[in-house]
Amino acid sequence: MAQKRRIGVYVCHCGGNISDYVNVEEVADAVRNDPNVVVSRTHMFTCSDAAQQEMIDEIKEKQLDGLVIASCSPKLHMFTFRGMSERANLNQYQYIHVNLREQCSWVHTNDKVGATKKGIHLLRAGIAKCELTVPLNAIRIETKPRVLVVGAGVSGMRAAISLADMGLAVFLIEREAEAGGWALQTGKMGPEAQDGTDVVAKLLTRINQHENIMLHTSAEVVSKSGSIGDFNVSVRLPGDETVSLNVGAIVVTTGFEPYTPQTDEYGWGAPGVIPLKDFRQMLAEADGPLMHNGKPVRDVAFIYCVGSRQLKSESCPEPNSYCSRYCCLATTYTATLLHDLEQKTGQPVNQYHLYRDVRTYGALEPIYEKARTGGAIFLRWDPSNPPQVTTEGDQLTVKAKDHLLGGEELEIGADLVVLATGMRPRENDTLNDILKIPESKDGFYNEIHLKLRPVETMIDGVFIAGTAQGPKTLAESVASSLAAVAKTGGLLMKGYVDLEPLIAKVDTDKCIWCGECLKACPYGAIEKVNVGEKEIAFVIESMCKGAGPCVPVCPHNAIEIEGFRDDQITAMIDASIKELETK
Amino acid sequence: MPKVSSKLAAAVKCSDEFNAAACMHCGICTAVCPMGYEILPRKLFRYVQVGLEDKVKENIPNIYSCLLCGMCSENCPAEVNIPENVRFLRKYINENEFNLS
Repeated sequence: MAQKRRIGVYVCHCGGNISDYVNVEEVADAVRNDPNVVVSRTHMFTCSDAAQQEMIDEIKEKQLDGLVIASCSPKLHMFTFRGMSERANLNQYQYIHVNLREQCSWVHTNDKVGATKKGIHLLRAGIAKCELTVPLNAIRIETKPRVLVVGAGVSGMRAAISLADMGLAVFLIEREAEAGGWALQTGKMGPEAQDGTDVVAKLLTRINQHENIMLHTSAEVVSKSGSIGDFNVSVRLPGDETVSLNVGAIVVTTGFEPYTPQTDEYGWGAPGVIPLKDFRQMLAEADGPLMHNGKPVRDVAFIYCVGSRQLKSESCPEPNSYCSRYCCLATTYTATLLHDLEQKTGQPVNQYHLYRDVRTYGALEPIYEKARTGGAIFLRWDPSNPPQVTTEGDQLTVKAKDHLLGGEELEIGADLVVLATGMRPRENDTLNDILKIPESKDGFYNEIHLKLRPVETMIDGVFIAGTAQGPKTLAESVASSLAAVAKTGGLLMKGYVDLEPLIAKVDTDKCIWCGECLKACPYGAIEKVNVGEKEIAFVIESMCKGAGPCVPVCPHNAIEIEGFRDDQITAMIDASIKELETK
Repeated sequence: MPKVSSKLAAAVKCSDEFNAAACMHCGICTAVCPMGYEILPRKLFRYVQVGLEDKVKENIPNIYSCLLCGMCSENCPAEVNIPENVRFLRKYINENEFNLS
């Protein structure tokens, strides 16, 4: 212990959550006379406004330079108490949070004496860590008021318009020669019968009129450097011209790839077995009764979940285990379109829908209802007994088991078999190598948390939206792109971003640049720099997340994480076993 | 394996009289049927809806033994007019199986 410190210790009852099992008074008493502890108290709820005000007053009055609060998980209240410390003019990084609830009282409800002892050990460790804290300041990065949107499908275009409306400059780039993406091929979409091409045309008009949006088609990202708030991205434009863009954030809306069935999967490859997209095209072009091979179409079988919710098997070693979300809506909506055509032409078409579960969730249920009451027959199949499609001449036969008849087998002679094919992640190795966004086990870009942080990625300042993140309907894609807009706006409109200073720090004397830390870092936050004659590792502050894989691999102990320094960890271990030694 | 008949399926679909689309296959109708046949009327209607003509023909005696008492439709939570549907079926069979018209 280098210097004398003035530390305040507060132990929380958590209204009984802690004090029912841990004797908090005994814990507070145990450390009261420790060398650097000035005050040690308990509170019923340390997080309450009244308790916080008392602590603030005491920190100021007793001129405390360290604070230890033993309460709940830091996930819950670490930031509460950091804010409180700042209000008491105490550096927030000189406050240490001890988890006395999740890590002590809640897990030792059967042993109150033991829980109290453990509480003392945990608190001692916290105090020891606090004794070695130094004041730190957040790393402030100036952000550039410009955004790059990669992929001009509906999600990308919608995001670009909203970002531009906020006053940010938007570069919207598209790999294909035309903006619009898959929406250009969908035709009329349920539930509101909007035409995909109309949606795209409307968005494009707004984009072309907007002074803040620059749209580049036939363009690709070739490199990316920099970090949150200040990225440099090179984009190749048509004619091999490369431009360099300096942006504060990147929104990735690269979309999906439609699933292509394997040969013979539900008769794929036979004439008359077509994906839903092609059937929709037939419907859109039909100006009389539906014809196939010169004959009127009388029976159509629709097979759902093709390429979605697959089970692992020999023929399918890498299954798409997820639901593609749009297919039930699209297929039942197709059924209603077919009913409309029937009404118009007077030619009946029997529809057999072989489904697994109809997932027309939310407000989409009426579409299913309409399809069913219109006369479409729904037959449920079980994944252990999928429908079999066979061909004889140009006659297609679908064999299935009907759930409602107790699994009786039946044979449907169909003129057309329509496969509702799902979504696949887009294969885009070049872009993946550049952006380095982690992928989920399904191969889509991975968000940090599906519910709580759905458009953010592990790369700060890079957001994902639309079907690049996972299968979605068009409405859901737009919702997620607007969420990404909100997050991007929140980041860039302020003009700066404050990052945690609890990051890696290189001891320039000890470092001899062996490169081990560079290999260990998953965020690319380490660089080689020359200091005079010497080569050493340098930590890019804005990219380091303080994860720490660089620390144990360093053969010379030349790298440490601030806030989790070796001396702090050693002191914590020593302090927590102090009682054990003296026993 | 029973085959789906395009003709029956289309006839059922285009008919205003046969309407079992609202049926949710709860089976109350079968439970209250005084004839006590397992097939009447839920399973039979499923055969008709799907268009399994062979299965319907196999069950002609059952279809004609229906008393049209209306216990089933009285108790149907989905308000399917079951006796009306049986009449439709008899008409279809008269026309297509017994060649009566």
